[in-house]
Amino acid sequence: MFEDRPDLVDRIVTHLRRPVQIDPALDGRVMQEIAQVDTGRRSGAAVAAWRWLTRPRQFTVSPLGALATAAGLAAVVWALPGRGVRAVPPAENASQEFQFVVVAPRAVQVALVGDFNDWDATRTPMRPSQRGGPVWTAVLHLSPGRYRYAFLVDGSRWLADPAAPHARDDEFGAPSSVVTVGGS
Amino acid sequence: MTSSLPRTPKSVAAAGALAAVLFATAAAQEPQHLNDPRLARLDTAARSLVAVAIDSARAAGLPTEPLVQRALEGATKDAPGTLIVSAVQRLAADLGRARAALGASATSPELEAGAAALRAGAGPAVLAQLRRSRRQTITVPLAVLTDLVASGVPVDSAAAAVLALAASARDADLIDFRRAVERDIALGAAPTAATAAAAAGVFGANALDVNAGARGARPGRP
Repeated sequence: MFEDRPDLVDRIVTHLRRPVQIDPALDGRVMQEIAQVDTGRRSGAAVAAWRWLTRPRQFTVSPLGALATAAGLAAVVWALPGRGVRAVPPAENASQEFQFVVVAPRAVQVALVGDFNDWDATRTPMRPSQRGGPVWTAVLHLSPGRYRYAFLVDGSRWLADPAAPHARDDEFGAPSSVVTVGGS
Repeated sequence: MTSSLPRTPKSVAAAGALAAVLFATAAAQEPQHLNDPRLARLDTAARSLVAVAIDSARAAGLPTEPLVQRALEGATKDAPGTLIVSAVQRLAADLGRARAALGASATSPELEAGAAALRAGAGPAVLAQLRRSRRQTITVPLAVLTDLVASGVPVDSAAAAVLALAASARDADLIDFRRAVERDIALGAAPTAATAAAAAGVFGANALDVNAGARGARPGRP
């Protein structure tokens, strides 16, 4: 297009090669424009908070102050829950299902009573076997711990569980048994 | 400075006076557990004394539910009121001894199991050693110790076996261990020999030195 005007091409090239003076405040104006565009998207308080949070600062701390801060942090970490001699496993509070069985021939009703039901004979009646035999059963969910219990036959006769340890500290003249529920 | 510092002692004094008044008011009232409807199954005299014992235990930071349950057990078994009161008071004392041995961080089940172990004849030192040797809860080791003694195992042998196992055994392992001891005793083994044999069975023959010479006495199983 300009092949026949070499002088014109030379003038353009010379013009383009000439150094250009840029206003030193240009960068500032550009960043201000950008900041204004950003401000339009957020609330003023949020922007101010963000700037306050992200603005670098310098702190001067005396050696004593640094030691006090470290001691405070160590105390907080030491006092966190779960710290200490014992670490309770998560399963400690998980309940387990237990089936209690007793053989009581000729019984009309059998109740399971113990620490888990306030020793209330009406709360956990046992069920006879489906064939009508002498085997009575009850199923309970128990949390980890040690429970004393006994079987009450026909409202008057106490039976300990022959398949469980007997309570050694029986002070009431009627036998009791002990079931221990573990957590691990 | 002149406005804030002089107020602090006054505020503390006022709070202290208020706390004293509240404490005196609470102390003048009836035992709190008299209002527990479950204790209505006791006769009036026994109920009052049991409520006092329970409130004292609560004030001492001891768990009260085991005491309530012991009283209810006595009531359901138609025990005399005096027997129920003495049983509750004795259990409260045992719970206090258990806490002294196990420390203030002991849980209610641990204290209850610890009280039973003390009643079975285990010394407070055994409880404290068990506390130190096991990171998990020691409710089951204490219960197993008590049950072994109830099965006829001498308390020293039972304590040695449980202490040897408790550091690394799971609760389920300890309960299996107790069952094995009881089964062998039922089959005719001497309680000490049954304990040593079952303990060796949990972790292998070389893992334990509790009455090692008695292992050969373990009876055969069906």
